[in-house]
Amino acid sequence: MDVLLTEEQDMIRTAAREFLEGECTTKLVRDMEADPVGYPPGLWKKAAELGWQGMCLPEDYGGSGLPLVYLGLVLQEVGRAVAPLPLHSTTVAALTIARDGTEAQRQAILPAVVRGEMVLTWAITERDGRHFNPAIETTAVVEGDEVVINGTKLFVDNFPAADHCLVACRTGEGLSLFLVDTRSPGISQRSLVTTAKDRQSEVIFKDVRVPVASRIGPLNEAGPIIEVMLDRASVLLCAQMLGATRKDAEMAIDYAKMREAFGQPIGAFQSVQHMCADMIIWIDGGELLTYEALWRMDQGLPHSVEVSQAKAFCNDRCEAVVRNAQIIHGGIGFMMEFDLHLWFRRVSSWTMRLGTSYEHRARIAKALIDLPGRVILGRPVPVVMEETREEELRRSA
Amino acid sequence: MDFGYTPDQEALRREVLDFIEANVTPEVLAERDGKDADGSTRPRGRAGPRMKELYDKIHRRGWLGITYPKEYGGQGGDRLTQFIVEEEFLRAGINIGLGGSGAPAVLAAGTEEQKRYFIPRLIRREISFCLGFTEPHAGADLAALRCRATPTQDGYIINGQKMYTTSAHSATHIYLMARTDPEAPRHDGISIFLIPMDTPGITVRPLWTIQNNPEAPHGTTYGEARTNETFFDDVRIPKSALLGEENKGWGIGAAALNLDRVGASRYLISIRRDEDIVNWLKENRDGPDAPAENAAIRDKVAELWIEAQVCRLMTLRSMSIVQRGGRFTYEGSAEKVWAPEHGVKTTEAITQMLGPYGQLLSSSPHAVEEGVFAHNVMGAFQSGINHGSVQIMRDQIARRGLGLPSQRRSRKPA
Repeated sequence: MDVLLTEEQDMIRTAAREFLEGECTTKLVRDMEADPVGYPPGLWKKAAELGWQGMCLPEDYGGSGLPLVYLGLVLQEVGRAVAPLPLHSTTVAALTIARDGTEAQRQAILPAVVRGEMVLTWAITERDGRHFNPAIETTAVVEGDEVVINGTKLFVDNFPAADHCLVACRTGEGLSLFLVDTRSPGISQRSLVTTAKDRQSEVIFKDVRVPVASRIGPLNEAGPIIEVMLDRASVLLCAQMLGATRKDAEMAIDYAKMREAFGQPIGAFQSVQHMCADMIIWIDGGELLTYEALWRMDQGLPHSVEVSQAKAFCNDRCEAVVRNAQIIHGGIGFMMEFDLHLWFRRVSSWTMRLGTSYEHRARIAKALIDLPGRVILGRPVPVVMEETREEELRRSA
Repeated sequence: MDFGYTPDQEALRREVLDFIEANVTPEVLAERDGKDADGSTRPRGRAGPRMKELYDKIHRRGWLGITYPKEYGGQGGDRLTQFIVEEEFLRAGINIGLGGSGAPAVLAAGTEEQKRYFIPRLIRREISFCLGFTEPHAGADLAALRCRATPTQDGYIINGQKMYTTSAHSATHIYLMARTDPEAPRHDGISIFLIPMDTPGITVRPLWTIQNNPEAPHGTTYGEARTNETFFDDVRIPKSALLGEENKGWGIGAAALNLDRVGASRYLISIRRDEDIVNWLKENRDGPDAPAENAAIRDKVAELWIEAQVCRLMTLRSMSIVQRGGRFTYEGSAEKVWAPEHGVKTTEAITQMLGPYGQLLSSSPHAVEEGVFAHNVMGAFQSGINHGSVQIMRDQIARRGLGLPSQRRSRKPA
């Protein structure tokens, strides 16, 4: 038991921070907001030279095979710099291919990801926008040695940059996951205009044909694979969100030390001081929850409750921190030419993705209240497996 | 980064749990609550024969004074071992701590003679300290204290009044902060003394709290039935009662207080009600309209549970820092803001889950869980006040942790 970073973990974090401080200016961040693809391939390549994409991928495919906590630390720094890199979507999808893909799929994808030559994403959510058990209407029908996909996906991250996309489809009896080349005929996309000004898309699949061999995991049984992928995605997004939020808070604290009103720095007033103290407490709390969830994943322990704890808490508290930072800055933080909004808009957007506070807390309540046995804090809460859509329908029928 | 316990630590926890099952019997707990075997009652805080026997057994297992050096009767163990053992005993309603910041202060600042005298006896529970810091005009602003210790040829004469000296009526000694140099700047004229409570000139008068009428059930947050005011009238003490150097008492007291703000007991005080309410909801599931089915209650319970995890994790962070030999910049204060405020939030949320039953005190018919939730409402906020209020803690985080400046007292136009 030692919940602090090890020396090695601290070194990796510091190295990532220094690299991005040198490479990722706010000018770059602003330029990419206006860029149709949304990321700088040169910086993506340099990140690969540092081993970021392959950090947690198996060594057999060129990765470093490190625990997920390390990727969490790097994503914290990506968030801190609000770096326009498709690292989150690429690594989450690549980890799923590494865990559940075939040998041929791993060979085709993972080494290219590690080298910084490929961007990945996934497409699960549809029009109901739900994180757990979304109603999936996109279908995949087997025709010979091909599968034909039809449907519309929403909130797909980095789609214009992505080479491949993991697509969740209804396949008669259940859900299946397919690895789809984004240049396949029949795919079109519309850009969503988000608060983060990032690249999220509506992706339309019209008679898109992919080989049967592009399926990830067993037919009709992709539910558990998707659950693992989304849990990783949620907790890694927490890490990214916390990195951005801490930087945002630091900017507000620095501003409070410098900005004078009533003849002294506004940071000398207790009302401002106590706001700042709370901001740091909340960020620290989110960080501890996130690290614990990542650590449990790395140990192969049940982690669904811990992931939801982290995401629900980060959603509420990170939003509150970046709002406080705006308030401490007064009018200037509201100005387009001032950089603070680059953090505020992104953090705010990330709190709404990959599970709202209410969705994650409902999952926690289920584990706490609906499963048998007395609860003791600090001892494992019973594991809650998400009810599949099929089970839900069967139950309500 | 490691959030788990080693197999040895898990085995230790198991050992403690087995010991508790065998030895912390209902009879022992009844005596703890002041009910003796012969039907007579005794003041809380004075151990009866069964409790004495229990503490002897715990001592023989090596679970008292775990972190104290062997030469002073401790075990020379680490803080995490202490944390694990203490957590399990506290959950079972038995306090195995050494009672506040007195013992750490003696270890840090005492003479060899003081350490050899006090520490083994504190561990064996033959000596206990009450805390004599707060005064009628010095609470949060402790450095405003006026209690005087006037040096004499062979010692000091103490005159003054201390407030909220909890357990002064049962403690053997008082761990006292008094002013030795009234001419010095506020923080520089203060000294610490260790004084037997039976010294002539000390008078203890009870102060009764709103939380204990009727008596609060054991396990109530805060839950002190009685605190005291303690008067010093020409109390003559020898030079040997001084702890550390004369006029250096402020630093000694502050360092020990900082350590006392973290650890198993602080954290458990703040999270016990979270466990209680979840288990209560589960055990009272009597149909589709039970509180456990209410979506708003479910959401609130999950929210509280997450915050309780943050209490646990902040405690583990403090443990990790101390275990590595580091010092807090603001982490101890952060824990002392988050945990008490969380405890109050949960206490208040529970009242809205229990509805009218939430009012029922211990002696009432239909009281829920012996009225513990109702008694909590009467005093949970205390943990945000004592040992450094949450407002003082936020000041410390802002100034010491974040480097924000102090406010200028008078404003001059620019």
